[in-house]
Amino acid sequence: MIQVKNLNKSFNGKAVLDNISIKFETGKTNLIIGRSGSGKTVLLKSIVGLHEIDSGEIWYENTLFNKLDFAGKKVIRSEMGMLFQGSALFDSLTVEQNVRFPLDMFTDSPADEKIDRVNFCLKRVDIINANNLYPSELSGGMKKRVAIARAIALNPKYLFCDEPNSGLDPITAILIDALIKELTEEYSMTTIVNTHDMNSVMEIGEKVVFISEGIKCWEGSKNDILNSDCELLNDFIFANSLAKKLRSQAKT
Amino acid sequence: MMKFLTQLGRYVLLLKKVFSKPEKPSLYFKQTMSEFVNLGLNSIGIIAIISFFMGAVITLQTAYNTENPIYPKYLIGLGCRDSMILEFSSTIAALILAGKVGSNIAAEIGTMRVTEQIDALEIMGVNSASYLILPKIIATLIFNPILTLIAIIVGIFGGGIAGTLAGVITTENFIYGIQYAFIPYYIVYSLIKTVFFAFIITSVSAYQGYYVDGGSLEVGRASTKAVVYSSVLILLFNVILTQLLLS
Repeated sequence: MIQVKNLNKSFNGKAVLDNISIKFETGKTNLIIGRSGSGKTVLLKSIVGLHEIDSGEIWYENTLFNKLDFAGKKVIRSEMGMLFQGSALFDSLTVEQNVRFPLDMFTDSPADEKIDRVNFCLKRVDIINANNLYPSELSGGMKKRVAIARAIALNPKYLFCDEPNSGLDPITAILIDALIKELTEEYSMTTIVNTHDMNSVMEIGEKVVFISEGIKCWEGSKNDILNSDCELLNDFIFANSLAKKLRSQAKT
Repeated sequence: MMKFLTQLGRYVLLLKKVFSKPEKPSLYFKQTMSEFVNLGLNSIGIIAIISFFMGAVITLQTAYNTENPIYPKYLIGLGCRDSMILEFSSTIAALILAGKVGSNIAAEIGTMRVTEQIDALEIMGVNSASYLILPKIIATLIFNPILTLIAIIVGIFGGGIAGTLAGVITTENFIYGIQYAFIPYYIVYSLIKTVFFAFIITSVSAYQGYYVDGGSLEVGRASTKAVVYSSVLILLFNVILTQLLLS
Protein backbone atom coordinates (compact mmCIF):
# COMPACT_ATOMS: atom_id res chain seq x y z
CA MET A 1 0.00 0.00 0.00
CA ILE A 2 1.13 3.52 -0.78
CA GLN A 3 -0.30 6.44 1.12
CA VAL A 4 0.08 10.12 0.30
CA LYS A 5 -0.75 12.60 3.06
CA ASN A 6 -1.19 16.35 2.64
CA LEU A 7 1.25 16.54 -0.26
CA ASN A 8 2.17 19.99 -1.55
CA LYS A 9 4.44 20.77 -4.45
CA SER A 10 5.19 24.01 -6.24
CA PHE A 11 7.50 25.16 -9.00
CA ASN A 12 8.93 28.70 -8.81
CA GLY A 13 6.31 29.68 -6.25
CA LYS A 14 3.40 28.34 -8.33
CA ALA A 15 1.46 25.59 -6.53
CA VAL A 16 1.12 22.49 -8.73
CA LEU A 17 -0.18 20.07 -6.10
CA ASP A 18 -2.31 21.36 -3.26
CA ASN A 19 -2.78 19.27 -0.13
CA ILE A 20 -3.26 15.92 -1.85
CA SER A 21 -4.12 12.88 0.30
CA ILE A 22 -4.73 9.48 -1.33
CA LYS A 23 -4.45 5.84 -0.33
CA PHE A 24 -3.39 3.48 -3.16
CA GLU A 25 -4.37 -0.10 -2.46
CA THR A 26 -2.34 -3.28 -2.91
CA GLY A 27 -3.35 -5.69 -5.69
CA LYS A 28 -5.45 -3.01 -7.36
CA THR A 29 -5.01 -0.83 -10.41
CA ASN A 30 -5.20 2.71 -9.03
CA LEU A 31 -5.79 5.41 -11.63
CA ILE A 32 -4.99 9.10 -11.42
CA ILE A 33 -7.00 10.94 -14.03
CA GLY A 34 -7.27 14.57 -15.04
CA ARG A 35 -6.72 17.01 -17.87
CA SER A 36 -3.29 17.69 -19.34
CA GLY A 37 -1.43 20.01 -16.96
CA SER A 38 -3.60 19.07 -13.98
CA GLY A 39 -0.58 17.79 -12.02
CA LYS A 40 -0.88 14.02 -12.59
CA THR A 41 2.70 13.49 -13.73
CA VAL A 42 4.09 15.75 -10.99
CA LEU A 43 2.11 13.71 -8.44
CA LEU A 44 3.39 10.40 -9.82
CA LYS A 45 6.98 11.67 -9.97
CA SER A 46 6.65 13.00 -6.42
CA ILE A 47 5.41 9.62 -5.22
CA VAL A 48 8.41 7.83 -6.74
CA GLY A 49 10.80 10.49 -5.45
CA LEU A 50 11.85 12.05 -8.75
CA HIS A 51 10.52 15.39 -7.46
CA GLU A 52 11.31 16.69 -3.97
CA ILE A 53 8.01 17.65 -2.33
CA ASP A 54 7.49 20.92 -0.42
CA SER A 55 5.55 19.31 2.43
CA GLY A 56 3.50 16.23 3.22
CA GLU A 57 4.21 12.54 3.64
CA ILE A 58 4.60 9.61 1.25
CA TRP A 59 4.33 6.20 2.92
CA TYR A 60 5.31 2.88 1.38
CA GLU A 61 3.71 0.39 3.77
CA ASN A 62 5.18 1.55 7.10
CA THR A 63 8.13 3.49 5.69
CA LEU A 64 8.07 7.26 5.34
CA PHE A 65 9.69 7.41 1.89
CA ASN A 66 10.19 11.16 1.48
CA LYS A 67 12.35 11.42 4.61
CA LEU A 68 14.75 8.64 3.55
CA ASP A 69 18.28 9.35 2.32
CA PHE A 70 19.55 8.08 -1.05
CA ALA A 71 20.52 4.67 0.38
CA GLY A 72 17.13 4.26 2.09
CA LYS A 73 15.24 5.26 -1.02
CA LYS A 74 17.36 2.82 -3.02
CA VAL A 75 15.96 -0.10 -0.97
CA ILE A 76 12.36 0.94 -1.74
CA ARG A 77 13.25 1.69 -5.35
CA SER A 78 14.54 -1.84 -5.81
CA GLU A 79 10.88 -2.82 -5.36
CA MET A 80 9.56 -0.32 -7.92
CA GLY A 81 8.99 -0.64 -11.63
CA MET A 82 7.98 2.26 -13.82
CA LEU A 83 6.60 2.61 -17.30
CA PHE A 84 7.32 6.09 -18.65
CA GLN A 85 5.21 8.02 -21.14
CA GLY A 86 7.87 7.71 -23.85
CA SER A 87 8.91 4.22 -22.65
CA ALA A 88 12.42 5.51 -21.69
CA LEU A 89 14.20 2.47 -23.06
CA PHE A 90 17.98 2.90 -23.24
CA ASP A 91 18.70 3.75 -26.89
CA SER A 92 22.16 2.23 -26.92
CA LEU A 93 21.00 -1.17 -25.61
CA THR A 94 19.07 -3.94 -27.36
CA VAL A 95 15.70 -5.18 -26.12
CA GLU A 96 17.41 -8.02 -24.24
CA GLN A 97 20.02 -5.71 -22.69
CA ASN A 98 17.31 -3.26 -21.64
CA VAL A 99 15.33 -5.91 -19.76
CA ARG A 100 18.53 -7.43 -18.40
CA PHE A 101 19.87 -4.09 -17.12
CA PRO A 102 18.21 -4.15 -13.65
CA LEU A 103 19.22 -7.81 -13.25
CA ASP A 104 22.85 -6.99 -14.08
CA MET A 105 22.82 -4.00 -11.77
CA PHE A 106 21.15 -5.51 -8.73
CA THR A 107 21.55 -9.29 -8.80
CA ASP A 108 24.48 -11.67 -8.82
CA SER A 109 22.62 -14.44 -10.64
CA PRO A 110 24.50 -16.48 -13.26
CA ALA A 111 24.22 -15.25 -16.85
CA ASP A 112 21.98 -18.11 -18.00
CA GLU A 113 19.51 -17.45 -15.18
CA LYS A 114 19.36 -13.79 -16.18
CA ILE A 115 18.72 -14.74 -19.80
CA ASP A 116 15.94 -17.09 -18.70
CA ARG A 117 14.36 -14.30 -16.65
CA VAL A 118 14.66 -11.84 -19.56
CA ASN A 119 13.02 -14.33 -21.94
CA PHE A 120 10.28 -15.04 -19.40
CA CYS A 121 9.49 -11.34 -18.97
CA LEU A 122 9.54 -10.70 -22.71
CA LYS A 123 7.28 -13.70 -23.34
CA ARG A 124 4.95 -12.47 -20.60
CA VAL A 125 4.42 -9.23 -22.50
CA ASP A 126 4.18 -11.04 -25.86
CA ILE A 127 7.49 -9.89 -27.27
CA ILE A 128 9.03 -12.77 -29.17
CA ASN A 129 12.11 -12.91 -31.42
CA ALA A 130 12.99 -9.29 -30.75
CA ASN A 131 15.86 -9.76 -28.27
CA ASN A 132 18.47 -8.26 -30.56
CA LEU A 133 16.46 -5.31 -31.84
CA TYR A 134 17.20 -1.76 -30.72
CA PRO A 135 14.43 0.54 -29.40
CA SER A 136 14.56 2.59 -32.61
CA GLU A 137 13.50 -0.54 -34.51
CA LEU A 138 10.35 -1.11 -32.40
CA SER A 139 6.80 0.21 -32.81
CA GLY A 140 5.23 2.36 -30.06
CA GLY A 141 3.26 -0.57 -28.65
CA MET A 142 6.31 -2.85 -28.63
CA LYS A 143 8.35 -0.21 -26.82
CA LYS A 144 5.71 -0.01 -24.10
CA ARG A 145 5.71 -3.80 -23.76
CA VAL A 146 9.48 -3.96 -23.50
CA ALA A 147 9.37 -1.17 -20.91
CA ILE A 148 6.81 -3.21 -18.93
CA ALA A 149 9.05 -6.28 -19.22
CA ARG A 150 11.97 -4.23 -17.84
CA ALA A 151 9.76 -2.87 -15.06
CA ILE A 152 8.75 -6.37 -13.89
CA ALA A 153 12.20 -7.96 -14.29
CA LEU A 154 12.94 -7.70 -10.57
CA ASN A 155 9.42 -8.72 -9.42
CA PRO A 156 8.45 -5.27 -8.14
CA LYS A 157 5.92 -4.63 -5.38
CA TYR A 158 4.97 -1.29 -6.90
CA LEU A 159 4.29 -0.49 -10.55
CA PHE A 160 3.93 3.06 -11.82
CA CYS A 161 2.68 3.87 -15.31
CA ASP A 162 2.72 7.39 -16.71
CA GLU A 163 0.27 7.69 -19.60
CA PRO A 164 0.81 4.10 -20.78
CA ASN A 165 -1.54 4.57 -23.74
CA SER A 166 -0.25 7.83 -25.11
CA GLY A 167 0.45 7.58 -28.82
CA LEU A 168 -1.11 4.14 -29.19
CA ASP A 169 -4.06 3.09 -31.32
CA PRO A 170 -7.24 2.12 -29.36
CA ILE A 171 -6.76 -1.64 -29.79
CA THR A 172 -3.11 -1.63 -28.69
CA ALA A 173 -4.08 0.69 -25.83
CA ILE A 174 -6.65 -1.83 -24.58
CA LEU A 175 -4.06 -4.63 -24.79
CA ILE A 176 -1.57 -2.60 -22.75
CA ASP A 177 -4.28 -1.81 -20.17
CA ALA A 178 -5.21 -5.47 -19.93
CA LEU A 179 -1.57 -6.43 -19.50
CA ILE A 180 -1.10 -3.92 -16.67
CA LYS A 181 -4.20 -5.23 -14.90
CA GLU A 182 -3.18 -8.87 -15.33
CA LEU A 183 0.33 -8.23 -14.01
CA THR A 184 -1.05 -6.28 -11.06
CA GLU A 185 -3.24 -9.20 -10.05
CA GLU A 186 -0.63 -11.86 -10.87
CA TYR A 187 2.14 -10.27 -8.75
CA SER A 188 -0.21 -8.59 -6.26
CA MET A 189 1.42 -5.23 -6.92
CA THR A 190 0.29 -1.77 -5.95
CA THR A 191 -0.14 -0.20 -9.37
CA ILE A 192 -0.65 3.49 -10.03
CA VAL A 193 -1.54 4.58 -13.55
CA ASN A 194 -1.68 8.16 -14.80
CA THR A 195 -4.06 8.59 -17.66
CA HIS A 196 -6.59 10.82 -19.34
CA ASP A 197 -7.90 7.99 -21.48
CA MET A 198 -11.50 7.20 -20.48
CA ASN A 199 -11.28 3.74 -22.07
CA SER A 200 -8.56 2.89 -19.56
CA VAL A 201 -10.71 4.19 -16.73
CA MET A 202 -13.61 1.98 -17.72
CA GLU A 203 -11.40 -1.05 -18.42
CA ILE A 204 -9.06 -1.14 -15.44
CA GLY A 205 -10.07 1.61 -13.00
CA GLU A 206 -10.54 -0.29 -9.76
CA LYS A 207 -9.79 2.88 -7.86
CA VAL A 208 -9.91 6.25 -9.60
CA VAL A 209 -8.72 9.63 -8.34
CA PHE A 210 -9.60 12.76 -10.31
CA ILE A 211 -7.28 15.74 -10.09
CA SER A 212 -7.94 19.21 -11.40
CA GLU A 213 -5.46 22.10 -11.17
CA GLY A 214 -3.45 20.27 -8.51
CA ILE A 215 -6.43 19.57 -6.26
CA LYS A 216 -7.99 16.16 -5.64
CA CYS A 217 -11.63 16.63 -6.62
CA TRP A 218 -13.05 13.13 -6.61
CA GLU A 219 -12.23 9.56 -5.60
CA GLY A 220 -14.12 6.33 -6.30
CA SER A 221 -14.29 3.32 -8.62
CA LYS A 222 -15.09 3.01 -12.33
CA ASN A 223 -18.62 1.97 -11.35
CA ASP A 224 -19.20 5.21 -9.41
CA ILE A 225 -17.70 7.54 -11.96
CA LEU A 226 -20.69 7.85 -14.31
CA ASN A 227 -22.99 8.79 -11.45
CA SER A 228 -20.71 11.36 -9.89
CA ASP A 229 -22.09 14.80 -9.08
CA CYS A 230 -18.64 16.40 -9.36
CA GLU A 231 -19.07 19.03 -12.07
CA LEU A 232 -15.39 19.12 -13.03
CA LEU A 233 -15.28 15.34 -13.33
CA ASN A 234 -18.41 15.27 -15.46
CA ASP A 235 -16.97 17.96 -17.75
CA PHE A 236 -13.85 15.80 -18.10
CA ILE A 237 -15.64 12.52 -18.72
CA PHE A 238 -18.24 13.88 -21.08
CA ALA A 239 -15.88 16.19 -22.95
CA ASN A 240 -16.40 14.75 -26.44
CA SER A 241 -19.61 15.19 -28.40
CA LEU A 242 -20.39 11.44 -28.55
CA ALA A 243 -20.23 11.14 -24.77
CA LYS A 244 -22.36 14.28 -24.36
CA LYS A 245 -24.98 12.88 -26.74
CA LEU A 246 -25.08 9.51 -24.97
CA ARG A 247 -25.44 11.24 -21.63
CA SER A 248 -28.30 13.44 -22.74
CA GLN A 249 -30.04 10.41 -24.27
CA ALA A 250 -29.61 8.50 -21.01
CA LYS A 251 -31.14 11.39 -19.07
CA THR A 252 -34.21 11.57 -21.34
CA MET B 1 26.73 36.64 -9.61
CA MET B 2 24.06 34.65 -7.73
CA LYS B 3 23.34 32.66 -10.89
CA PHE B 4 27.03 31.85 -11.28
CA LEU B 5 27.30 30.70 -7.66
CA THR B 6 24.16 28.59 -8.00
CA GLN B 7 25.56 26.91 -11.13
CA LEU B 8 28.91 26.36 -9.41
CA GLY B 9 27.16 24.83 -6.40
CA ARG B 10 25.15 22.49 -8.62
CA TYR B 11 28.32 21.52 -10.49
CA VAL B 12 30.09 20.65 -7.22
CA LEU B 13 27.09 18.65 -5.98
CA LEU B 14 26.96 16.77 -9.27
CA LEU B 15 30.66 15.90 -8.95
CA LYS B 16 30.01 14.65 -5.42
CA LYS B 17 27.35 12.30 -6.82
CA VAL B 18 29.65 11.27 -9.67
CA PHE B 19 32.50 10.28 -7.36
CA SER B 20 30.40 8.25 -4.93
CA LYS B 21 30.90 4.49 -4.62
CA PRO B 22 29.76 2.62 -7.77
CA GLU B 23 26.83 0.21 -7.35
CA LYS B 24 28.37 -2.54 -9.44
CA PRO B 25 32.05 -1.99 -10.34
CA SER B 26 31.98 -4.66 -13.08
CA LEU B 27 29.25 -2.75 -14.98
CA TYR B 28 31.15 0.52 -14.57
CA PHE B 29 34.28 -1.16 -15.94
CA LYS B 30 32.34 -2.36 -18.99
CA GLN B 31 30.91 1.12 -19.47
CA THR B 32 34.40 2.66 -19.16
CA MET B 33 35.74 0.32 -21.86
CA SER B 34 32.92 1.39 -24.15
CA GLU B 35 33.74 5.08 -23.46
CA PHE B 36 37.40 4.44 -24.39
CA VAL B 37 36.12 3.60 -27.84
CA ASN B 38 33.49 6.36 -28.08
CA LEU B 39 35.51 9.23 -26.67
CA GLY B 40 39.10 8.07 -27.20
CA LEU B 41 39.67 5.76 -30.15
CA ASN B 42 37.10 7.59 -32.27
CA SER B 43 39.02 10.85 -31.74
CA ILE B 44 42.37 9.57 -33.01
CA GLY B 45 41.51 10.29 -36.66
CA ILE B 46 40.60 13.96 -36.25
CA ILE B 47 43.51 14.62 -33.87
CA ALA B 48 45.99 12.97 -36.27
CA ILE B 49 44.72 14.87 -39.33
CA ILE B 50 44.68 18.27 -37.62
CA SER B 51 48.06 17.69 -35.95
CA PHE B 52 49.69 16.71 -39.23
CA PHE B 53 48.55 19.88 -40.98
CA MET B 54 49.23 22.14 -37.99
CA GLY B 55 52.78 20.77 -37.81
CA ALA B 56 53.16 21.41 -41.52
CA VAL B 57 51.89 24.99 -41.26
CA ILE B 58 54.02 25.79 -38.19
CA THR B 59 57.12 24.55 -40.05
CA LEU B 60 56.40 26.57 -43.19
CA GLN B 61 55.53 29.75 -41.25
CA THR B 62 58.66 29.44 -39.12
CA ALA B 63 60.73 28.91 -42.27
CA TYR B 64 59.33 31.97 -44.06
CA ASN B 65 59.82 34.15 -40.97
CA THR B 66 63.42 33.07 -40.38
CA GLU B 67 64.84 33.52 -43.88
CA ASN B 68 67.62 35.72 -42.52
CA PRO B 69 70.89 33.74 -42.83
CA ILE B 70 71.87 34.52 -39.21
CA TYR B 71 69.19 32.11 -38.05
CA PRO B 72 70.35 28.50 -38.27
CA LYS B 73 68.00 26.31 -40.31
CA TYR B 74 67.57 23.76 -37.53
CA LEU B 75 65.57 26.41 -35.60
CA ILE B 76 62.66 25.54 -37.90
CA GLY B 77 62.58 21.98 -36.50
CA LEU B 78 63.04 23.26 -32.97
CA GLY B 79 60.16 25.74 -33.42
CA CYS B 80 57.89 23.05 -34.75
CA ARG B 81 58.77 20.67 -31.90
CA ASP B 82 58.26 23.20 -29.10
CA SER B 83 55.03 24.60 -30.59
CA MET B 84 53.60 21.11 -30.89
CA ILE B 85 54.66 20.02 -27.40
CA LEU B 86 53.98 23.19 -25.45
CA GLU B 87 50.77 24.44 -26.97
CA PHE B 88 49.23 22.53 -29.83
CA SER B 89 49.13 18.98 -28.50
CA SER B 90 47.55 19.98 -25.21
CA THR B 91 45.64 23.26 -25.58
CA ILE B 92 44.62 23.38 -29.24
CA ALA B 93 43.87 19.65 -29.27
CA ALA B 94 41.78 20.14 -26.11
CA LEU B 95 39.80 22.90 -27.84
CA ILE B 96 39.17 20.56 -30.76
CA LEU B 97 38.11 17.79 -28.38
CA ALA B 98 35.83 20.22 -26.54
CA GLY B 99 34.02 20.62 -29.86
CA LYS B 100 33.90 16.94 -30.73
CA VAL B 101 33.74 15.07 -27.42
CA GLY B 102 32.13 17.85 -25.34
CA SER B 103 29.18 18.34 -27.65
CA ASN B 104 28.78 14.57 -27.95
CA ILE B 105 28.64 14.11 -24.16
CA ALA B 106 26.20 17.00 -23.61
CA ALA B 107 23.91 15.85 -26.42
CA GLU B 108 23.95 12.20 -25.30
CA ILE B 109 23.24 12.89 -21.63
CA GLY B 110 20.82 15.72 -22.47
CA THR B 111 18.80 13.44 -24.75
CA MET B 112 18.72 10.81 -22.03
CA ARG B 113 17.37 13.46 -19.68
CA VAL B 114 14.57 14.71 -21.94
CA THR B 115 13.52 11.18 -22.94
CA GLU B 116 13.32 10.21 -19.24
CA GLN B 117 16.07 7.58 -19.52
CA ILE B 118 17.85 9.22 -16.57
CA ASP B 119 14.61 9.11 -14.57
CA ALA B 120 14.35 5.40 -15.45
CA LEU B 121 17.84 4.83 -14.00
CA GLU B 122 16.95 6.77 -10.85
CA ILE B 123 13.72 4.78 -10.38
CA MET B 124 15.75 1.57 -10.51
CA GLY B 125 17.88 2.95 -7.67
CA VAL B 126 20.92 3.57 -9.87
CA ASN B 127 23.08 6.63 -9.16
CA SER B 128 22.57 7.99 -12.67
CA ALA B 129 25.20 10.73 -12.38
CA SER B 130 27.88 8.27 -11.40
CA TYR B 131 26.84 5.58 -13.87
CA LEU B 132 26.71 7.95 -16.83
CA ILE B 133 29.51 10.41 -16.08
CA LEU B 134 32.23 8.59 -14.10
CA PRO B 135 33.16 6.16 -16.93
CA LYS B 136 33.44 9.11 -19.33
CA ILE B 137 35.73 11.02 -16.95
CA ILE B 138 37.96 7.98 -16.35
CA ALA B 139 38.13 7.21 -20.08
CA THR B 140 39.13 10.75 -21.06
CA LEU B 141 41.59 11.17 -18.18
CA ILE B 142 43.40 8.04 -19.35
CA PHE B 143 43.00 8.37 -23.10
CA ASN B 144 43.51 12.11 -23.72
CA PRO B 145 47.20 11.98 -22.71
CA ILE B 146 47.59 9.25 -25.35
CA LEU B 147 45.93 11.58 -27.88
CA THR B 148 48.38 14.31 -26.82
CA LEU B 149 51.35 12.05 -27.50
CA ILE B 150 49.86 11.10 -30.87
CA ALA B 151 49.37 14.81 -31.67
CA ILE B 152 53.01 15.57 -30.83
CA ILE B 153 54.40 12.72 -32.92
CA VAL B 154 52.11 13.24 -35.93
CA GLY B 155 52.51 17.05 -35.80
CA ILE B 156 56.30 16.92 -35.83
CA PHE B 157 56.16 14.29 -38.57
CA GLY B 158 53.84 16.56 -40.60
CA GLY B 159 56.26 19.45 -40.07
CA GLY B 160 59.18 17.37 -41.30
CA ILE B 161 57.31 16.20 -44.40
CA ALA B 162 56.05 19.70 -45.30
CA GLY B 163 59.44 21.34 -44.69
CA THR B 164 61.26 18.80 -46.83
CA LEU B 165 58.70 18.78 -49.65
CA ALA B 166 58.61 22.61 -49.76
CA GLY B 167 62.41 22.65 -49.81
CA VAL B 168 62.69 25.05 -46.85
CA ILE B 169 64.76 22.66 -44.73
CA THR B 170 66.66 19.43 -45.21
CA THR B 171 65.62 16.29 -43.35
CA GLU B 172 68.94 16.26 -41.49
CA ASN B 173 68.51 19.86 -40.31
CA PHE B 174 64.94 19.20 -39.23
CA ILE B 175 65.89 16.10 -37.24
CA TYR B 176 68.80 18.00 -35.66
CA GLY B 177 66.37 20.80 -34.77
CA ILE B 178 63.84 18.55 -33.08
CA GLN B 179 66.64 17.00 -30.97
CA TYR B 180 68.34 20.29 -30.15
CA ALA B 181 68.06 21.57 -26.54
CA PHE B 182 65.21 19.17 -25.82
CA ILE B 183 63.68 19.60 -22.36
CA PRO B 184 61.78 16.40 -21.38
CA TYR B 185 59.82 18.32 -18.72
CA TYR B 186 57.90 20.03 -21.53
CA ILE B 187 56.24 16.68 -22.27
CA VAL B 188 55.28 16.30 -18.61
CA TYR B 189 53.94 19.87 -18.63
CA SER B 190 51.86 19.10 -21.69
CA LEU B 191 50.48 15.88 -20.23
CA ILE B 192 49.56 17.56 -16.92
CA LYS B 193 47.65 20.23 -18.85
CA THR B 194 45.92 17.54 -20.90
CA VAL B 195 44.66 15.75 -17.79
CA PHE B 196 43.19 19.01 -16.43
CA PHE B 197 41.62 19.84 -19.78
CA ALA B 198 40.16 16.34 -20.13
CA PHE B 199 38.47 16.72 -16.76
CA ILE B 200 37.11 20.16 -17.72
CA ILE B 201 35.73 18.95 -21.07
CA THR B 202 34.01 15.88 -19.65
CA SER B 203 32.66 17.25 -16.40
CA VAL B 204 31.45 20.60 -17.79
CA SER B 205 29.79 18.97 -20.81
CA ALA B 206 28.20 16.25 -18.67
CA TYR B 207 26.91 18.93 -16.28
CA GLN B 208 25.31 20.84 -19.17
CA GLY B 209 23.63 17.67 -20.45
CA TYR B 210 22.57 16.32 -17.06
CA TYR B 211 20.57 19.40 -16.11
CA VAL B 212 18.81 19.95 -19.44
CA ASP B 213 15.19 20.89 -18.93
CA GLY B 214 12.87 20.90 -21.93
CA GLY B 215 13.19 19.33 -25.36
CA SER B 216 15.44 19.05 -28.38
CA LEU B 217 16.00 22.81 -28.56
CA GLU B 218 17.40 22.81 -25.02
CA VAL B 219 19.59 19.80 -25.81
CA GLY B 220 21.07 21.79 -28.72
CA ARG B 221 21.64 24.78 -26.45
CA ALA B 222 23.27 22.60 -23.81
CA SER B 223 25.57 21.17 -26.44
CA THR B 224 26.62 24.66 -27.53
CA LYS B 225 27.09 25.80 -23.93
CA ALA B 226 29.21 22.72 -23.24
CA VAL B 227 31.62 23.66 -26.04
CA VAL B 228 31.73 27.37 -25.18
CA TYR B 229 32.19 26.98 -21.40
CA SER B 230 34.72 24.15 -21.78
CA SER B 231 36.73 26.21 -24.27
CA VAL B 232 36.77 29.31 -22.06
CA LEU B 233 37.79 27.25 -19.01
CA ILE B 234 40.52 25.50 -21.01
CA LEU B 235 41.99 28.87 -22.03
CA LEU B 236 41.76 30.18 -18.46
CA PHE B 237 43.39 27.10 -16.94
CA ASN B 238 46.02 27.15 -19.67
CA VAL B 239 47.26 30.48 -18.33
CA ILE B 240 47.05 29.38 -14.68
CA LEU B 241 48.79 26.02 -15.26
CA THR B 242 51.49 27.57 -17.44
CA GLN B 243 52.30 30.07 -14.72
CA LEU B 244 52.32 27.34 -12.06
CA LEU B 245 54.28 24.72 -14.01
CA LEU B 246 56.78 26.79 -15.99
CA SER B 247 57.53 29.71 -13.69
